[in-house]
Amino acid sequence: MGEKNRKKDVLQGTLALMVLKTLDVLGPMHGYGIARRIEQISGDLLAVNQGTLYPVLLKLEQEGSVASEWGASENNRRARFYRLTRQGRKQLQAEKQDWDETAAIIARFFAVRAGDVK
Amino acid sequence: MKQLKRFVRRLTWWTRTGRDEERLRAEIEAHIALQTEDNLRAGLAPNEARRQAVLKFGAVEAMKEDYRDQRGLPFAEAVLRDMRYALRRLRRNPGFTVAVVLTLALGIGATTSIFTLVHAVLMKSLPVADPSELYRVGKEARCCYFGGYSQENELSIFSYELYKHFRDNTQSFAELAAFQASESLMGVRRSGTTEAAQGYPGEFVSGNYFTMFGIRAYAGRLLTARDDQPGAPPVAVMSYRLWQQRYGSDPSLIGAVFTLDNKPYTVVGITPPGFYGDKLRANPPDFFVPLATEPLTGAAGDINQPDQHWLDLIGRIRPGAKPASIEAEMRVELKQWLRSHWGEMSANDRAKFPEQTLFLRPGGSGITSMREEYEHWLQILMVVSAFVLLIVCANVANLMLVRGLERRREISLSMALGAQRRRLMSQALTESLSLALAGGAAGVGIAFAGTGLILHLVFPRVAGLAGVPISASPSPPVLLFAFGVSFIAGLGFGIAPAWMATRVDPIEALRGASRSTTRTASLARKMLVVFQAALSLALLVASGLLTAALHNLQHQNFGFARARRTIIRIDASLVAYPMGQLTTLYQRIQDSLSSVPGVSHVAICQYSPLGVNNWGASVWIDGRPAPGPNDDDSASWDRVTAGYFKAIGTPLMAGRGISRDDTATSQHVAVINEAFAHKFFNHEHPIGKYFAQIGMGTSHEYEVVGIVQDARYFDDFSKPLGPMFFLPEAQHDLLPKTGMDINPGSHNLHDIVIVTRQGAGISGARIRQAMASVDANLPIISIQPLEVQVAGNFRQERLIAQLTSSFGLLSLVLASIGLYGVTAYNVGRRTTEMGVRLALGATPAQVAALIVRGAFVLVGIGLVIGFPLALVAGQFLGSQLYGLNPYDPVVILLAVLTLGITALVASIVPALRASLISPSEALRAE
Repeated sequence: MGEKNRKKDVLQGTLALMVLKTLDVLGPMHGYGIARRIEQISGDLLAVNQGTLYPVLLKLEQEGSVASEWGASENNRRARFYRLTRQGRKQLQAEKQDWDETAAIIARFFAVRAGDVK
Repeated sequence: MKQLKRFVRRLTWWTRTGRDEERLRAEIEAHIALQTEDNLRAGLAPNEARRQAVLKFGAVEAMKEDYRDQRGLPFAEAVLRDMRYALRRLRRNPGFTVAVVLTLALGIGATTSIFTLVHAVLMKSLPVADPSELYRVGKEARCCYFGGYSQENELSIFSYELYKHFRDNTQSFAELAAFQASESLMGVRRSGTTEAAQGYPGEFVSGNYFTMFGIRAYAGRLLTARDDQPGAPPVAVMSYRLWQQRYGSDPSLIGAVFTLDNKPYTVVGITPPGFYGDKLRANPPDFFVPLATEPLTGAAGDINQPDQHWLDLIGRIRPGAKPASIEAEMRVELKQWLRSHWGEMSANDRAKFPEQTLFLRPGGSGITSMREEYEHWLQILMVVSAFVLLIVCANVANLMLVRGLERRREISLSMALGAQRRRLMSQALTESLSLALAGGAAGVGIAFAGTGLILHLVFPRVAGLAGVPISASPSPPVLLFAFGVSFIAGLGFGIAPAWMATRVDPIEALRGASRSTTRTASLARKMLVVFQAALSLALLVASGLLTAALHNLQHQNFGFARARRTIIRIDASLVAYPMGQLTTLYQRIQDSLSSVPGVSHVAICQYSPLGVNNWGASVWIDGRPAPGPNDDDSASWDRVTAGYFKAIGTPLMAGRGISRDDTATSQHVAVINEAFAHKFFNHEHPIGKYFAQIGMGTSHEYEVVGIVQDARYFDDFSKPLGPMFFLPEAQHDLLPKTGMDINPGSHNLHDIVIVTRQGAGISGARIRQAMASVDANLPIISIQPLEVQVAGNFRQERLIAQLTSSFGLLSLVLASIGLYGVTAYNVGRRTTEMGVRLALGATPAQVAALIVRGAFVLVGIGLVIGFPLALVAGQFLGSQLYGLNPYDPVVILLAVLTLGITALVASIVPALRASLISPSEALRAE
């Protein structure tokens, strides 16, 4: 597995968490809506490659974290709506906790200056 | 868990690729449309709005690729791709492909064919309903009659009265059925026709036999408990096989009357196709008749004798019943029954009463006499065929290595262009597996033919009778086995070559013909040849030992003459010949056959040597106390006509043989063999002494009038020749008090011995003609030379020796091909070196010797490794086959020589080619 793949995995992992959180906050939503929400919050992460969202959605669906069905968008366009399943909610909680812990540890590392620890 | 769920989804998604592509397209379209609308709202021009939306979505194709990877099964797709690639490459190289597939087919075919037999004989259940519910009373298969009230180790064969006792008292059996343990022929004739009676296997079974097996009639009805009662109209069930083959499935046959052993039976139904009774045997029964009709046919009336044990028992237990508790219950019932017969029991039986017991064993495979007989041989054959398969794999691995070497340039180029090693390896492995599976498919065909041939050799067809119910056509377990073996073989011969072929440095492709890393492959190939040589030696030695042992077995001195002797087997009981006329019948047969030109002697006996059977008896020597429970008083005996010893060629050592003067009214006499004299008379001179069989109520019955040399009558070749006595046909063993004949069946003499004059031949037609002039109705079962009858005792051994020899030959050919390949390849590689040697003054003979020496070093190492292997194999075979000497120096020497000569032949051609190398050309080629 090359360097490129690893970066993609990290991006996918983060993206997956963002997708779950978005669905948690907004309820059932189509792909475009999710992309726009992530864009609004994360800035340029999805500014260029909104398409990368779809493989992530598929993976989440395969894992059973989200479910999807066709529906009508706000301006009556046919779009596929994704919603969080119960398992997805559990996964979100678990991953949020993981994330908080990791973030806290990393934050502590950056906060410690050389010489603080003897 | 999550992974598994995902895999299952992927699997289902993979199967509906088209619909998902459509879904993705629709989603992308919706996404871009929504974005475009937003862009329009933000004030962009329509064209620009769409362009921006597409831009923002990103690379659609890359995303689609990613999406597909997520969705489907990239692994499975890769396998399919590799498979197509492998097939394309194999098609491009048909010679190689055909050679490998054929070699594999031989190896896999051999293994599968032996497995077909292993499965049928050792593993399969009877074709009946829920065989797992069936339990047999008894462990060993014991044939066929057993008298008295005690049995060694366990009771495994039962009298009718004891059966009824168990059946009526053991509640945990839904049905407990009994059936005849022996295999016998019935003289069968359809009533109202003039045809002669024909012998078909028939079996006495209890009325609930078919109910117990859960079998339904194919036509008509099967037997019921009501048919199995004294006085019930006699009915019979016919096998589907006979009904279809002999009577063309004629429906009017149901209700037709047949005479079986001269008594009328009405055929009431046909068994379903495939049902072959309660045990796997060479000739399954064609008639099933109720036990209650047994007194009708024979004079014996075994059914009425509580101490005559001749029935096997199998029962279907009630759901939930515990076999262990049934067993305990039946042991108590057995003791109760024995106690109720305390008055009739002999002192011996009473002494053995405490240890009488029985065992309940799973009976889904029926009576497993064939399993007991063939188990060891099948195991040996399985090992031998596994050896062959290993050699085959080594050979194919060798070919694959060469192929890998040829592809080095291609592979290093692929790697230089970025191909992953893992992918290249999986490509190579896919190729191996495709070859293995193709070989397996062809192997199943070979196995079918091979199994058919083996079955034909072990169980020769008897015209008109059903053959052994083992099918050569592959069943699902056999197919699964072949598939598994192919797969493992494919991995076995594929992994190392695949690994080696892909261990190339991409730089090699650029450097040109480098030989820096080919050494490992060359070493591997040499090791494979060594391995093949070692296995071949073991197989050659094994086949040599078996062949030598078989030869010794067959050509030992049996104590009777085989040359110019023919045995005619008859069965007067099939036409219920009246007892009083038998002596006359035999005399007329002797006279009639003696008058045939070319015949010098004729005699008739109950059983000829190494035929089918012999009777046993307990002996009481006159003037001594009656033998006690622990005395060994057993001897076997035969009933013969005058002139028997001369006809069979057993020399008389003292006294006289049986003559025409030994009549019904003269003193009862016996001729004994040397073993009998030694065992019972030890130092005394036996002639003029008296003895009797236990049960006659006297010891003063037979006067010993002669002693003959020991001869082999039984096929227990590992045991010393046992004591035997011979009684005249004309004299009957009558009880002094009642005048009852205690051995009436012994007067049904089976075998006519004909001796022809030196150089004279005698045709079967002449014999039949002479027999017909005596009684046209007397069934002739077979006519065969005594030599053939004796050889029939070694059918298994011969088959094993032949199979092992052909497997040994196959392995020898494969090993020599491997050796040739390696040697030829080395010569090719060392062309320059040879050229230099020749240029520097080496003679062609020296160069050739160098090459041959190289080949012999490999074979030599193989011999060193194979030798202990051969000894182990010999040891094992020695424990299985009597008369096999595991250290037979001639056999071992011959095997080594054979291997050496083969190696010489295999290496001489490449060696000659090396010696013909022209130095100048060789040097220029570099």
